Amino acid sequence: MKNPNGENKKIKILWLSGISCYGNIHSFFNYPHMEVFLEDFEFIYHPVLDSTFSLKEIVNETKECNILLIDGAISDDFHRADVNIKDIINRYATSVNRIVTVGTCATFGGIFKYSDFQSPRGLHFCGDELQTDFLHLRNKTISISGCPIQPEVLVNTLYEIKNQTDIKLDTFLRPKEYYAYTVHNGCTRNEYFEYKVDGHKFGELEGCLFYDHGCQAPYTAGSCNKILWNEQNSKTRSGSPCFGCTEYTFPKMSLYDTKKNMGIPQNLPLGVPKRAYLTIAGVTKAFSIQRLEKKLIDD
Amino acid sequence: MIELIEKIEGEAKLDFSFTNDLIDYVKIEFLSARGIENILKNRPALDSLVINPRVCGICGHAHLIATVQALESCYEKIEISDKAKIIRELTLNFELIQNHLKWFYLVLIPFFGKKQDTKKALYSSSLMTKAIAVLAGQYPHNSYAIVGGITSSVTNGDFIKVRSLIDEAILFFQSNLVDANIEEFWECDSVEHIFEKEGDLVDILMYIIYSNLNDMGKSYDRFIAFGGNSYFKKGKSNKTVVSTNLKYEYIKEKLIDYSYAKNVYYKDKSYEVGPLARGMINKVPLIKDAHRKYGDSIFSRILARVCEIAQLLYHSKQLLSMCNIKEPSYIKPKIDIKNITANGIGYVEAARGSLIHKVDLVDGIIKDYTIITPTQWNLGSGTKDNLGIAQNAMVGLSSVDEAKLVFKSFDVCSVCTTH
Ligand code: SF4
Ligand code: SF4
Repeated sequence: MKNPNGENKKIKILWLSGISCYGNIHSFFNYPHMEVFLEDFEFIYHPVLDSTFSLKEIVNETKECNILLIDGAISDDFHRADVNIKDIINRYATSVNRIVTVGTCATFGGIFKYSDFQSPRGLHFCGDELQTDFLHLRNKTISISGCPIQPEVLVNTLYEIKNQTDIKLDTFLRPKEYYAYTVHNGCTRNEYFEYKVDGHKFGELEGCLFYDHGCQAPYTAGSCNKILWNEQNSKTRSGSPCFGCTEYTFPKMSLYDTKKNMGIPQNLPLGVPKRAYLTIAGVTKAFSIQRLEKKLIDD
Repeated sequence: MIELIEKIEGEAKLDFSFTNDLIDYVKIEFLSARGIENILKNRPALDSLVINPRVCGICGHAHLIATVQALESCYEKIEISDKAKIIRELTLNFELIQNHLKWFYLVLIPFFGKKQDTKKALYSSSLMTKAIAVLAGQYPHNSYAIVGGITSSVTNGDFIKVRSLIDEAILFFQSNLVDANIEEFWECDSVEHIFEKEGDLVDILMYIIYSNLNDMGKSYDRFIAFGGNSYFKKGKSNKTVVSTNLKYEYIKEKLIDYSYAKNVYYKDKSYEVGPLARGMINKVPLIKDAHRKYGDSIFSRILARVCEIAQLLYHSKQLLSMCNIKEPSYIKPKIDIKNITANGIGYVEAARGSLIHKVDLVDGIIKDYTIITPTQWNLGSGTKDNLGIAQNAMVGLSSVDEAKLVFKSFDVCSVCTTH
């Protein structure tokens, strides 16, 4: 069957899972236009979907493939179907056009950089430390960080690879199109942030979570408040702090607390110098905006 | 004979041995574990609400709810609004439903000569993940349940959206799985009634009967469920005799030397957990009838899992209408968790069965954390004279393919089993 664009050559993808929770896979399943996607792409292997080859065939032979997706952390002693994951990656790495690290574990090590495996990490980074063993693959790699990935960001990137678009990447190899924003961008609580209305309580529509509840969105790269999750909502809109899961620092300690020095948040919004922040804070705190002091719906 | 089992959120090995062409023992081996319990150690208590959904990509929400309940049970007194309780239960129900739908259309039907139906699986399961997102921010991996309630403040508009998503899932169920009114499932007490209907579930059940597979996959006929809520009853059932007094002290985890999955026993015995167990303990008329006729076979197991979709959709609608939006979502606990030194346990019914989290806090810091997952109950690898549930269900079969079907009828999840 031809896809709606009239083409019938599918791009072949291998989805290889390392040390993972399979959350990226189930997040990917929320992609709303899956049928169209599967007309354009073929999984030569996928950990849940029916695919062209079995896991055994994939790890023991080298099948033709255009894009290698790696989800989950890698480690020297992690195996898939009895084959070392690094060997599998090396086997496919030279022949594929692109490698995509799917999720924060594959990109930075994520929560599993703290697991008991031998030196668990992402493909190129452990936290923000550059790893050398796959250095030769850097030019091929795109990182889609996030714990889990946003399905649209992954799928759009795969289409951009298919269309041979020139994808602009940041220092962690993430497409700027999605990671040049901060998660703060688009949060329904932005006004509370701007005017330093920090009286946030959990379970309320009002207030910003930056000042007391550990929200990391102002310095976290990602599109969570721009491309909504499951087409509906986001963590911060629903009153949970952003835990910075797209970043190399994830997961930090004390995720529900805002670390402060003398009352000033330790981590300031991306690109804002401390002095400037203090000046603005002084000015905005002088405002008393009744609208923002009141409940939005019930008064 | 060793078979690699894949597409189970990871992989496992089944090592079969035969006598007279019949399987007489299967060793179940899980190949690696990620050690989430260790990752949690020495972290502040609330961090577990962020880490634990990452135990599993398909039932991470159950891990969140088990975590929050474990933390809350460290308090002598803590107040949670009914609204927060109901909304937590709703999002957990939705997770169960999406899981069952994916299992049926992606995992199960290929065993009966049909292709995976990604379209039906993902369309219907996404309705449920959307409903979770409306209430909880996103799915998977939100952390909206917090000690004292939930983080979201839900509006009337949100409720209308959730109700529409439930209704759309009901329509899907009725026009695809069984063409029966979903309310009929509450009263229906005969499998024959289901056979009069049409649908994807009916096709599979008929196939099982016509191919004489209805005796396949029987185990000990012992069931247990720890996670009581407004729908699920807590208890254990030996055949059909149900008792409700369960104690954590009787649960034992045991290491085995060839696999990363620990076995788990209640009073030194294996128990089946999951939809069939819940149906038996809840005395769901249709499930009891299936059990009367086909025992704890794959027939009853499959029917129970799919039937639970209907039951939970219907119950969720009732729950939603009971929820008073004016109540607070969150009531700040009187004592900060940073000052708490105590042990707590959370019990939850996850898609695949009872999930238990136990936490030891010292001044709000996690000193020890134990997770016991549903799949540990079902997939434990015992010895020849003390077989686990799935092992026992596979013994006596003549082919590896049949054994694989029986194995997957437990809805195997490798990441949960080993965590
Ligand atoms: S809650 Fe977080 S994302 Fe929203 S405005 Fe405050 S800092 Fe930004
Ligand atoms: S809001 Fe923050 S923690 Fe949540 S998914 Fe986005 S980047 Fe991750």
